[in-house]
Amino acid sequence: MTAIAPLFSDPYYQAFAAFMTERREPDAIARLRRAAFARFETLGWPTRRQEAWRFTDLAALQALALQRPSNALIDAITLPALETTTHRRVFVNGYFAPSLSPMQPLPDRAIVSNFSQALLSHSDRISSVLDSLPGLQSHPFAALNTAFWEDGAFVYVPQGTVIKEPIHLVFYTTGGDMAVYPRLLLALEDGAQATVVVEYQGQGRSLNAPLAELQLGSSAVLHYHQVQEESLQAFHLGGIRVHQSRASQAHLHLFSSGGQLGRTDLEVLLDGEHAGCLLNGLTLGQENQTGDCHLRVEHTQPHGTSEQVFKSVLDGAARAVFDGMIHVRPHAQKTDARQTSRNLLLSRQAKAHSNPRLEILADDVKCGHGSSTGFLDPDAEFYLRARGIPVIQARALLVHAFANDSLNRIILAPLRERLARLLAVWLGLDSIEGN
Amino acid sequence: MLEIRNLHATVEGREILNGIDLIIRPGETHAIMGPNGSGKSTLANVIAGREGYVVTEGDIFFDGKNLLEMDPETRACEGLFLAFQYPVEIPGVANLYFLKAAVNAVRKYRGEPSVDAMDFWDLIHERMELVKMDESMLKRSVNEGFSGGEKKRNEVFQMAVLQPRFAVMDETDSGLDIDALRVVADGVNALRSPERGFLVITHYQRLLDYIVPDYVHVLVNGRIARSGGKELAVELEQQGYALYNEEPGRARRAA
Repeated sequence: MTAIAPLFSDPYYQAFAAFMTERREPDAIARLRRAAFARFETLGWPTRRQEAWRFTDLAALQALALQRPSNALIDAITLPALETTTHRRVFVNGYFAPSLSPMQPLPDRAIVSNFSQALLSHSDRISSVLDSLPGLQSHPFAALNTAFWEDGAFVYVPQGTVIKEPIHLVFYTTGGDMAVYPRLLLALEDGAQATVVVEYQGQGRSLNAPLAELQLGSSAVLHYHQVQEESLQAFHLGGIRVHQSRASQAHLHLFSSGGQLGRTDLEVLLDGEHAGCLLNGLTLGQENQTGDCHLRVEHTQPHGTSEQVFKSVLDGAARAVFDGMIHVRPHAQKTDARQTSRNLLLSRQAKAHSNPRLEILADDVKCGHGSSTGFLDPDAEFYLRARGIPVIQARALLVHAFANDSLNRIILAPLRERLARLLAVWLGLDSIEGN
Repeated sequence: MLEIRNLHATVEGREILNGIDLIIRPGETHAIMGPNGSGKSTLANVIAGREGYVVTEGDIFFDGKNLLEMDPETRACEGLFLAFQYPVEIPGVANLYFLKAAVNAVRKYRGEPSVDAMDFWDLIHERMELVKMDESMLKRSVNEGFSGGEKKRNEVFQMAVLQPRFAVMDETDSGLDIDALRVVADGVNALRSPERGFLVITHYQRLLDYIVPDYVHVLVNGRIARSGGKELAVELEQQGYALYNEEPGRARRAA
């Protein structure tokens, strides 16, 4: 592992020491932070010599003098109109914003809260799960998150409980070169079900490095949606860890259109028989944006299913990176794992790197992957134009058709429709109706 | 309404059309027949404005307007329609949505408001019957998974909805069995009117039993070698193209 550059070590070390003197929290949490910071010191800032960071250029981020966020702005900020949702938790620069967070009564014993609040009454529950899930152990920004998070969202759904209404978590950053480390811990006990929408929004330039930990008990069902539409100056380096027990189902939808650099590292551990996951991603890139997804799906038990479908649409000089690993351990027979990566380039300067990887150590499995990158079909474009549809609209229609396939996998109708509108605006269309 | 003068065109640097002259008046249906490689489809694509088909000499006027200066969508909005030899599959774009977008594009070009939803639905249903199309095809993606016959029917259906003033049918009969051929021909015949012109391109005389043309032209090596009435098609069927075709496919192979 690369030794950390001293230039970086010192400011981070001082920042961490100062940060820890201010914290008032249980010892168990403080221990996690110290361990994570030590891990970061060992890992160091990633370099492009490391395989996992080969296509992610951090030079522009590294040049910034990042600031610790202040909670002074929470009430001063005007958020873009948020849809009316039953359960909402809003975080501004990583701090909880109570005035923006309406809540309706939850089922018995269920918790949707922020960490600082939840630690008062559920300290044991949080510290027993927090940072305990496997995955992303060598991800420096996941380590930084555990060291530096100010607050975060805590969602707990007890055994057999179903929360029908979506839980809406909004993480807003206000720029000013702040380094924000939002945290999310979600625990579904056996047979629990929940639908979660996580939105990353913001303005200006900042580093947003969230870390989400999702734990699914036996037969739990999670519909998780991540919408990353930060400003085009922002750096977003997020991590998601998922741990699934027997017969649990995780549906993860990752939509991304923001950030000069937007990267999500996602690791799913299918750790029980008949566990299954769907990982559905759509990245839109324009100008000099980089949209980056690193996935690892680990099958440890028999009869697991996983499907990865990742698409990108790239205009201008945008770049997309897809690195997807399916790892099937020897014991995980009858695994059914599929992976698709498709990139649509709208300009000659756009670029897509696709790196599908399979490591199969069991002999009775079905695994497959496919990857394609290409331009719009000129024959289809001509066909539409030959019916009178102007070239700009014809191209937009074809892009929409390509991308809409991803959105159609989202069951949550209001979100699906919002993203369809967002896509239409991105394409410069007034609207896409009833397709 | 369509006037082609001394048209020369190349594809990838090869000369395919070598001076075509053709005048089609409103209400007339002309058939172009010819052996493979004679330039039939090139002519259709040049008229529709497809990229890669380069006009090196000559003109095409559509109702007095210079067609070659228009992009493909403008030609369509002016009332020109090409029924494709190979209709393109467009996954993810529903047939109905596509048709509505096309109808509204033409209306916008003419300065008319978008089509009323109820009126559009009525029009669609009426026209579907014309080509005996099943309603389920509306919801399916454009041509995706359609059989050869369904694709060609869909072309005629689009034409019936868009109601162009001039239509080029590029080998609409290829790949059709006799029943499908009849349906397609009935659809075309229903649209024939004193204001509307047709150019029917075909390799075989068979289609012209159903869509009876006013004039038949024989295209050989990128030129019209002979013109006549509908009886010319019958003659060609009996004698083949051998008389005209000392160097078969010369146009296609020419450097």
